[in-house]
Amino acid sequence: MDFLLGLTQLIGVHTILGLSAYVVLLTGQVTIAQAGFFGIGAYIAAMLTTLAGWHIVPAMLVGASVAGVVACIVGFPALRVKGLMLVVATTAFGEFVRLFWFNFDYQIAKGEIMVGPEGGEGFKQIRYFPENGWTTGDVALFIWVILIAIMLALWWMDRSRAGAVLRAVGEDELAAQSVGINLTATKVTAFAVGGFIAGIGGGIYAHYTTHIEHANFSVLLATFAIAYPILGGLTNVTGTLFAVVFIQGILVEGLRFMGDWRNLLFGALIVVAMNVRPRGLIDERVVMIVGRAFSTRKGRADA
Amino acid sequence: MLELKVLSKHFGGVRAVDDLSLAVEKGQIFGLIGPNGSGKSTTVNLICGVFPVTSGRVLLDGKDITRAQPHQTLAAGIARTFQNIRLFGQLTVWQNLWVAQNGLEDRQRENFLRRWMSGNRRARESVEELLEFSGLADKRDALARNLAFGEQRRLELARALSAKPKLLLLDEPAAGMNLEEVGALDDRLRKIQDRGVTILLVEHVMDLVMGVTDRIAVLNFGKKIAEGTPAEIQDDPAVQEAYLGGAGGRRAAAAG
Amino acid sequence: MEFIDIVLSISDGVLFGTTYALIGIGFTMIFGVMHKINLAYAATSIGGAYVSWAISTLVPLPAILVFLISAIAAGVIGWLVYLCCFRLVPLDTPLTTLLATVGMLIFIDEVVVHETDGMPQPYPAIFDDVFFEFGEFGLRGDLLFIFVLSFAAMLVLLYLLYRTRLGIATRAVAQQPMAAQLCGISIERTNASTFVITGMLGGLAGAMIGASVGVLSPLLTLPVTVKGLIVTVIGGLGSIPGAIIAGLMVGAFENLFLALRGVTERDMYVMLLLFLFLTFRPGGLFHRSALRD
Repeated sequence: MDFLLGLTQLIGVHTILGLSAYVVLLTGQVTIAQAGFFGIGAYIAAMLTTLAGWHIVPAMLVGASVAGVVACIVGFPALRVKGLMLVVATTAFGEFVRLFWFNFDYQIAKGEIMVGPEGGEGFKQIRYFPENGWTTGDVALFIWVILIAIMLALWWMDRSRAGAVLRAVGEDELAAQSVGINLTATKVTAFAVGGFIAGIGGGIYAHYTTHIEHANFSVLLATFAIAYPILGGLTNVTGTLFAVVFIQGILVEGLRFMGDWRNLLFGALIVVAMNVRPRGLIDERVVMIVGRAFSTRKGRADA
Repeated sequence: MLELKVLSKHFGGVRAVDDLSLAVEKGQIFGLIGPNGSGKSTTVNLICGVFPVTSGRVLLDGKDITRAQPHQTLAAGIARTFQNIRLFGQLTVWQNLWVAQNGLEDRQRENFLRRWMSGNRRARESVEELLEFSGLADKRDALARNLAFGEQRRLELARALSAKPKLLLLDEPAAGMNLEEVGALDDRLRKIQDRGVTILLVEHVMDLVMGVTDRIAVLNFGKKIAEGTPAEIQDDPAVQEAYLGGAGGRRAAAAG
Repeated sequence: MEFIDIVLSISDGVLFGTTYALIGIGFTMIFGVMHKINLAYAATSIGGAYVSWAISTLVPLPAILVFLISAIAAGVIGWLVYLCCFRLVPLDTPLTTLLATVGMLIFIDEVVVHETDGMPQPYPAIFDDVFFEFGEFGLRGDLLFIFVLSFAAMLVLLYLLYRTRLGIATRAVAQQPMAAQLCGISIERTNASTFVITGMLGGLAGAMIGASVGVLSPLLTLPVTVKGLIVTVIGGLGSIPGAIIAGLMVGAFENLFLALRGVTERDMYVMLLLFLFLTFRPGGLFHRSALRD
C-alpha cells in the first residue's frame, strides 16, 4: 500500500513538472531549464517551512513565484535564440541553478541539530509533513488536489483563446506577429507560467522526499520534463499524465521484476514509441475518436 | 493613407528597395507590380516591420510607423497575407480566425484578461461573419493544414480581415489559382473595397491587376519606374521594356 | 600557482580539447545535413569505445587497433541510431526525433551499465610513459598522440567532404536538399552515410577520451553530450572550423578551471557566462558556416 501511495506521489509531482514544460513547448520552444525552476521552488519552499516555520501552502506559493520571476528573466534573453541554441542556453541556465545550490550554504541551529541547505551535502531534514502529522495518504491527496487544479487550469487555458495564441506562436512566429500577437509577451508569459508550475512541483517534491540535493535537479530531470509532454502528445494536458504513468508507472515500476534489464528496455521503448506514435500517445486522432465517442453517447442520451 | 518616403532596404550590397516613394489614397486598390526580384515582397515586409528599413520612412495616416514591430503595425491598422501561405496548420479554421481578433476596437473596449482568456461575444460574431464571407462556414472545425489550396488562400485573406484593418497588404493572392478562382478573388477584393478597406495588391496575374486596381506602380530592381492608371501603365514603353522584356513581351505577359 | 603551471594546464587542455572538437564536428555535421539534433551522439561515441574495450578483453590487441575498432563500432552504432530514430520517423516534427534520440541515449547507456555493472573499466593508452620536456615546459606524450590522431581524423574528414563524390553529395544535401534530390542524389543514403562518418569520428573521440582518462565509465556520456553541444553552438551551427576552435577552447578553459579551483563556484559562473554568450551572440563565434555557405 505504501508502495502504491509512493508511486502516486511520484507520478503527481512528475506530471506537474511535465506540465510546466508543456506550456513552454506549446510556443515551440524546447527548454532544458525546467529542472532549474523546479529546484528553485524546492529549495525556497523547504527553507521557508524548515527555517522560518511557515505553513506549506504559502511557502510553496512564494517558492513558485520566485521560480516564475526567474523564468521570466530567463525568458527575455531566451527570446533571441531558437532551436538548438535555446536548448543549450537553457541547459546552461539549468546547470547554473544546480551549481548555485551546490555552493549554497545557509544553516541555522534548530534544537540539537543544524538544519538548512549545506552545499554539496544537500538539504536534509525537511520534516514538515511528519512534524505536522501528515500521513502518506494525506500527502498523496494533497499532491493530487494540486495536480488536478493545475490540470483543470491548463485545460481551461488550452480551450480559451490564450491556448490558441500559444499554439499559433508555436506554429509560425511571423504569421502570429502579423495577426497582431505580441511575440515577446506571449513567449515570456509562457516561460513565467512554466516556471511557476515547475516551482510548485519543486515545493512538493522537497517536502515529500525530505532530503534534496543539487544532483536531483540535473539535466536528466530536465530531459524528463520535456520528454513527458512530447511523449504524451501536445494536443492536451491528459497526454502528459498518460506519459508519466507510462514511464514512471509502467516502465520504471512495472518492469521492476526484470531487474537491470528494465532500464535497458526503458530507452528502447521510448524509441519504439516515437516510431509508432510520432505525434505522441494522445495525438489528434485519439482526441477526435474519444470526442466522437462522447458526442454519440450524449446524442443517444438525448434521443 | 499610406505613404512611403524615399524608402530603401539594402541586403549587404544588394539594393532590394531603392529610394521608393509611393502614396496610396484611402479606398483605393493600389497595384504593385514588377518582374521577379524587383523588390515587391520586400516592400510589403518593410511596411509591416518584418525587416528593419535601411533609410526612409513609412507613414500611415500621417503617423510614422517605420520602426514598428509586426504586431504594432497590425494594431496601427495594417493587415497582410503571405506569398507562400502561412496559416496555423495545427489549429482549426475557426481558431485561425479567433486568434487573429486583435482589432483596435477590441483592444480599447475589452480588458486584457477577458480578451485573452475567452474572447468576447463580438469577437465570436466577427469570426462567424468572416467564415460566411469566405465560404468556409462548413469547414470551421477542419484543421487548416487539411484544407484545399484555394480554401487556404481564402482563410488567410479572412484571417487578415479579422483585425478590421484600414489597409490590407496582399502578397500575390492569386498565385497558383485557376481562372475561375481568380474571378472569384476579383469579386471578393471589390467587396472588401466596398467595406472601406484600402488594398495594396502585389501581383503577377495581369488579368487581375489590370481589372481590379485603381492605380498601379511598377518596380524594377527596387526602383519605381512608372506609376499611373492601369491603362496608362499598359501603354507605358518603359514598363514594356523592363517588365515584359521588349520584343518577346506579349508572350511573357500571356505566361503571366 | 606558478605561471608555468597555468601554461601547462592550458596546453594539456588544448591537446585534450581535440576530442571535444571531434564530438562538436559530429553534432554540427548531423545538424548541417538533417537540421536535427542527435542527442544520442555522445552515447554513440562512448558506446563505440566500450565495444572496443569488450573486444580487447577477449583478444589482446595493440592499443592503436583498439582505437580503430572503436571508430568502426561507433560507425555501426551511428547507423543504427539513424535507422531507429530518423529513418522511419516523420521529419516534420522536430520534437519526435529529439525524444527518440534521448531514448537511444538512455538505451546505449543502459546496455553499457548492464554489461559492466556500471563499474569503470580500464582503457589502454599509447605513449602514456612518454613526456616531452622543453626546459620548464613539457607535454604529455599520450595527450600529444591524441592531438595528432584527432587532427589526422579531421584532415581525412575534410578530404572526404571537399574532394570526394560522397562529400560533395553531402554538402549538396546540406545546402539544397530538393535540388540535390533532383540531381539524382539519394537523401536517405547521404543521411545514413553522414551518421556512419560522424559515428566513426565520435568512436575515435570516445576512445581518445577513454585513453586519456584511463578508464571508461557510463557516467561520461552526459557531460560529453553537454560539452559537445556547447562546442557546437559556440563554434556556430554547421561550422566545422568553428567546432574545432571551440573544442580546443572548451578543453583549455575546462582544464584551467580544474587546475585553479576544481569543480566549485567557477563552474557556476562559466554556465552563466555561457548562457549570456548564447543569448547575446546567437550566431556563435564564427557566423559563416562551412557546410551551408
